[in-house]
Amino acid sequence: MEAGSSDDDWKQWFERHGPKLLLCARQWTRTLADAEDVVQEVFARYWRHQRWLAGEPLALLVTSIRRAACDLARRDERRSRREAQTEVMLGEGDGRMFETPFEGEERRAAIERALRAIPAEQREVLVLRVWGELTFAEIAEQLDVPANTVASRYRYALVALRERLKASDTECHGR
Amino acid sequence: MDDELKELEAELRRLRPAAPSAKLWSGVAQAVVNSEKRSRRRRVVAWWSPMAAAIAVAAVWLGGRGEGGAEASRRIASAENTATPETSFKPVAAEKVLLASQEEGYATLDDGTRARRIRSLYLDTIVWRNPETDASLTWTVPREEVRIVPVALQ
Repeated sequence: MEAGSSDDDWKQWFERHGPKLLLCARQWTRTLADAEDVVQEVFARYWRHQRWLAGEPLALLVTSIRRAACDLARRDERRSRREAQTEVMLGEGDGRMFETPFEGEERRAAIERALRAIPAEQREVLVLRVWGELTFAEIAEQLDVPANTVASRYRYALVALRERLKASDTECHGR
Repeated sequence: MDDELKELEAELRRLRPAAPSAKLWSGVAQAVVNSEKRSRRRRVVAWWSPMAAAIAVAAVWLGGRGEGGAEASRRIASAENTATPETSFKPVAAEKVLLASQEEGYATLDDGTRARRIRSLYLDTIVWRNPETDASLTWTVPREEVRIVPVALQ
């Protein structure tokens, strides 16, 4: 966002990137409500202290969101259970993850189901890469793992997703 | 990565994450408004110290109407001491420009002396400078002055 951002600037920016931030936040929080709280807190802090920084702030905000989500988890003594609660974090009853695409509602639901089903560490990388628009190097820094590991997880995620979508297609057409 | 995976990747990129709820929108809007208010308050506080000092200088300086340059300089120097300690702005120049002057006739003082009443309009300018940052503050304000000058009868 440019220096001297006006009232309308933040709205335009948030309209474009807010959904991505929320999706990223949902990877690290238990509920949609927690994810929204984290996004709000981080965006407010960014707006107060960092909006004058040059360049596109998406990567910075994704980093801040991850930190805030971890802090929240620590505060609630949930961090140790975070991985175990993966299924709860992206539970079916916690709101849709995506808008309906051109391919239709059925395809959206199938992709969301497949995403929820793949391992959390793979999904995390996929979300950060595709919708968080981070590079492998940036994701590696975020997650404190080697960039090669990130690239592998990304590939595994796509393969796992493809397999699950194929299975889902077969189920639908086999009915 | 094979073509099939690339296609899947492209399809994922086309997916738009769900829009934030109205609750999140209003929460963020509120946070932005609060942040603006806070930074406005900070700006006011930041300007208050030099402004207060400038007003103090103006009060002292304007108090000595019609006095010579040496006296005005002395008053500016003494005004430096009235500046709040946390500010490092110092008055470096003061100027008053006479824009208009008008005779308003005669008045009689309490002791019966006749006096001329003269109304003048000035534009006062005081320049402050922070020697550390070289930032400067220029304060310009119009001022109306009425002088009573006893008439010396010959």
